[in-house]
Amino acid sequence: MEENQQLEELEIVRRAQKGDRQALSQLVTRYSSRIYHLGLRLTGSRQDAEDIVQDTFLIMVKKIGQFQGKSSFYTWLYRIAMNVGLRRLKAKPQQYEHISIDGPNFDKLSTEAMREWPKFDYSIVNDRNFRQKLDQLIAELPPIYRTVFILRDLHELSTEDTSKILQISPSNTKIRLMRARNFLKERLEQLIEAGILV
Amino acid sequence: MKFSEELLKEICEYLGSNLQEPPCQIIREYMRVCPNCEIYIDKIKRTIEIYHVADQCEPLPEDLNKKIFACLKLDDLSPDCQ
Repeated sequence: MEENQQLEELEIVRRAQKGDRQALSQLVTRYSSRIYHLGLRLTGSRQDAEDIVQDTFLIMVKKIGQFQGKSSFYTWLYRIAMNVGLRRLKAKPQQYEHISIDGPNFDKLSTEAMREWPKFDYSIVNDRNFRQKLDQLIAELPPIYRTVFILRDLHELSTEDTSKILQISPSNTKIRLMRARNFLKERLEQLIEAGILV
Repeated sequence: MKFSEELLKEICEYLGSNLQEPPCQIIREYMRVCPNCEIYIDKIKRTIEIYHVADQCEPLPEDLNKKIFACLKLDDLSPDCQ
């Protein structure tokens, strides 16, 4: 976020802290879509995602007075949303068996011939069934990897902001991201080989 | 060609960073002699891209904001009321 946008947002937050309802509504409008998508990717459930949005804003309203501006507002809000989402995830029985998550096999990279992927027809993502397949793949990722992938690659937050939100070190964020990307890449490769994504 | 420990560290760091950024010198040099690395990076980029596109295609529930505004007792400020 640009510096002037951050200042403008801080001004809205200051007004919200003083009980300005209009300012609160601006924050809701600004972030509801992002929090919904975060919740959806985290839980794979539209209903859970809606509940996460609702709970996140309830907490925001309750705690906004405690926001001191030490981090950016969106980092603060994302942390609330992530905590709400992870709590919800913990309360649910796991739908998929988690498997071990490794990084790329560098030996294979240096010794075996690798085939390129064919060109995708990205319009396939308009198909809800295909999006559900993507949801299934991401749901196989243990939450510690899933959260990093969502924040870094889908919400395009920086390594630093992601580390602050998840309260892990930047190098840990990078390692988890590398493994998450590698895992999803391998799963996607299976869809390509099965002819589902071409 | 085998990966040295230093190179491995650099590549891991790169693969967990912004892939649009130019890779550091040591990787750039290595990529010239490692076609698989380029293919690998391309696959990772496209994996991210397809999830990105899918996320953008996911519609928001029509009444999402209306529900939140009601829940926060801000109904009168809901865009639906204006």
